Amino acid sequence: VTRFILRRVALSLVTLWLLATIVFIIVNVLPTDVGRTILGPFASQETVDALNERLGTNDPLIEQYVRAMTNLITLDFGTSFQSGQPVGPMLADAIVRSAKLAGLALVMTIPVAILAGLFAARRRDQKVDRGIVLVGVTSSSIPEFVTGTFLVVVIGVQLGWFPVIARAPAGSGPLTELYYLFMPALAMAIVYFGYIARMTRAGAIDVLDSDYVRTATMKGLDTKQVMRRHVLRNALIPTVAVIGVQVGYLFGGIIGVERIFNYNGMGQMMLFAAQRKDLPVLQAGAVVIGIVYMLATLIADLIIAWMNPRIRAETQS
Amino acid sequence: MDHRRLDPIRRSVNPVQLDLVEQFARGNITRRQFIKRATVVGLSMASVSTIIAACGGGTTSAAPSASGAAPTDGAATTAPTSGPAGGVMRVAIQRPVSVDPVAMQDLGGYGMVAQSFEFLCTLNEAGDDIAPGLAETWAPNDDGTVWTFNLRPGVTWQNGAEFTSEDVVASLERLVAANNAGLGGVLPAGGARAVDPLTVECTLASANGNFPYLVSVFNAQTVITPAGYAAGTTLDAMPDGTGAWKLESYDPSTGARFVRNEAWWGGPTPLDAVEWTFFDEIGPMVTAYQGGQIDAIVQFDVLSGSALFEDPNFNVIATSTALHRQIWMRVDTGQFADQRVREALALSLDRDSMVQQLFRGRAEVANDHVIAPIYPYFDESIPQRTRDVERARALLVEAGAENLSAVIRCGELLEIPDLAVLIQSNARDAGFNLEVAVESLDTFYGAQWCPPEPADPPCSGASELGIVDYGHRATPDVYLNAALATGGVWNSSQYMSPEFDGAFAEFQAAVGVDAQKAACGKIQTILTRDLPILVPYFYNYLAGSSTAFSGVYSSALGQMFVSSASKIA
Repeated sequence: VTRFILRRVALSLVTLWLLATIVFIIVNVLPTDVGRTILGPFASQETVDALNERLGTNDPLIEQYVRAMTNLITLDFGTSFQSGQPVGPMLADAIVRSAKLAGLALVMTIPVAILAGLFAARRRDQKVDRGIVLVGVTSSSIPEFVTGTFLVVVIGVQLGWFPVIARAPAGSGPLTELYYLFMPALAMAIVYFGYIARMTRAGAIDVLDSDYVRTATMKGLDTKQVMRRHVLRNALIPTVAVIGVQVGYLFGGIIGVERIFNYNGMGQMMLFAAQRKDLPVLQAGAVVIGIVYMLATLIADLIIAWMNPRIRAETQS
Repeated sequence: MDHRRLDPIRRSVNPVQLDLVEQFARGNITRRQFIKRATVVGLSMASVSTIIAACGGGTTSAAPSASGAAPTDGAATTAPTSGPAGGVMRVAIQRPVSVDPVAMQDLGGYGMVAQSFEFLCTLNEAGDDIAPGLAETWAPNDDGTVWTFNLRPGVTWQNGAEFTSEDVVASLERLVAANNAGLGGVLPAGGARAVDPLTVECTLASANGNFPYLVSVFNAQTVITPAGYAAGTTLDAMPDGTGAWKLESYDPSTGARFVRNEAWWGGPTPLDAVEWTFFDEIGPMVTAYQGGQIDAIVQFDVLSGSALFEDPNFNVIATSTALHRQIWMRVDTGQFADQRVREALALSLDRDSMVQQLFRGRAEVANDHVIAPIYPYFDESIPQRTRDVERARALLVEAGAENLSAVIRCGELLEIPDLAVLIQSNARDAGFNLEVAVESLDTFYGAQWCPPEPADPPCSGASELGIVDYGHRATPDVYLNAALATGGVWNSSQYMSPEFDGAFAEFQAAVGVDAQKAACGKIQTILTRDLPILVPYFYNYLAGSSTAFSGVYSSALGQMFVSSASKIA
């Protein structure tokens, strides 16, 4: 297992290096006068030149590249061109906010969706199965921003049950934060419910049709035991893989939801940076999202290996 | 007319002030125009009151003051009432791009910085003109080339240091060095001088009757920062201003919190604190208000904020302004170089319909020049251009440009893309074949409106046709200087007219109302004839607050002032 993890971490580092290099190339292909972007259109060219000199944006590209990579290794992300703030703390705040929102959305989605998928698989082709499939298809085909707008107007404004801005006042406790995050998380959960439920259902149906489940049933095990001992682990393998990828996606920010609920997570921050060519923020944000993707898929792979002895054996060999 | 009261004032004022008094005494300007102008040329409140009374205009109620509102047609403030002290107000504002007082360019930045830092001339509570700020009084010399500002005594920085004329001189010098758009060409380097700790003298490059506006809230970067402030420092890095509010926390991505500055020269504010939440769009601001999470909105537009007009608990602050859009056409090259083509496009526009469709009537039709009707020197005698499709078609034929095809470029901002579509539709009737290209604001400004290269003359890489946004200014100097004067830094039409430049110079040098109006008449005539730009409307600036608060007032530049706001019991 240790070897497997080390190999994956090494592979991840190479991928991250490639990602950072691609971002660096894209960022430097954009024809932007950094000094002019920071100081605005009225600053004299002399001042702009002096700032470019100080920031090192006039240096040869290879020199800038080495410096950028060194900074990334030392987690020194530099200063935002637009706000003049250090990128590190900005990024850390956005990561924490995104983690809270994505975490709550996953906590709301995963148990309900898995239970619904297993329940539907057990009652395959019955009314309840069709009902769950229909709800799943419908909910996952409505974009998050539509669901979000509906929730804001009906639950937030008309009924007044939940706040329409996702950010809790400064100094709020965890429960208040959850209260503020409930609606955007629900908007995301509604979409992912259908996806995960259908994936679980399909996996469970495959397993339920397999010989070893039939054998287990014929041996006299009751339904609960069959589901717990034989179906659950195997049926959830594709679901875990999907969740692993979705974690990275949710973390990267569902920009529509973040905008509707005025929540400044990674998505809003990256969009804002892209609109204003704030290169340090853009570069650091892309690398951090890449790290989250890799960690999430690594953890998902480890869980899958733990769940399935065959995969574990392949991993060890 | 009571000459016994008027004559002593006539004898005591300088020639610039005397000209204004005579204009009012002869009935050439209204009482409101007199009050506005009196503030600018530095007449004292006592003199204004006496002059109005002597001329049979009543007594002091109309006098401008830093604490009492002058009457106004536009409701730019929610009238202060005596509410209980204490409480917190939550305000929605567009997310600032930069809070560097010298370099900031966006309304969010203006709104934040103006909470802690102050201007020599601040905003009156009617929201439509300047009032004494860090300068208690000011006055020009006889020909308007030297302006003297007498600073307010007893003002301290929030870190306890004393505020002096050295701070003002250093701030103005920094702005001049940074090529501030308002001060450029007006105040030369070294033009500001500290006469004594409470007096600053500004010697201008040439006479200017509107100089106090250029060091006021209407030139948002002219906040006074400490002498030791280094260009590039942001509000959160050096938050100690002289203002009513002290920055407690600032997060560039979410918001800021300001608490009462107990040592403010204006006295303690009724509210304990103000929390500002940053938004990227107006829609979520409106729903946040409807959901009870904010109390005031710094700016919204008619279409996104339509629900607010119907809400009896929301007080809309609508200010008539010089906010406008300029449709520039390259006059030096390309298909619009022929004046007849530009006139054809101007004649094709249905301005009334634009005002109704884009602003539901909360705008005024404009006449292809930048002198807005709110300016006291607006010349109303210039005939308004109206839609004449037949004439437009004939002009295109005359110019040999039937079925002219062009791209009209604009940024994705408020109603501008809709305006582009209306222009496209209007112009089609006259024989134009326009394609609308909407781009992100960054791309639009950098690639279409004023590309940095070629740099000389500025904007010479601009597209041949486009729409650009202009914020409110208390005087039209910036529009005239930057967008229309030869070599102007925003001159995307590449308009170069010695006649116009001469009229502009005349306007800048004019210090009396008659002279300013005469110069503006020339400017209006030249621009409506030459048509380097089309200006279809001037629209209202919209802000507002919950009726649970009073005393909120707002400029048309994203600055909401809540120092006298209080919660209504």
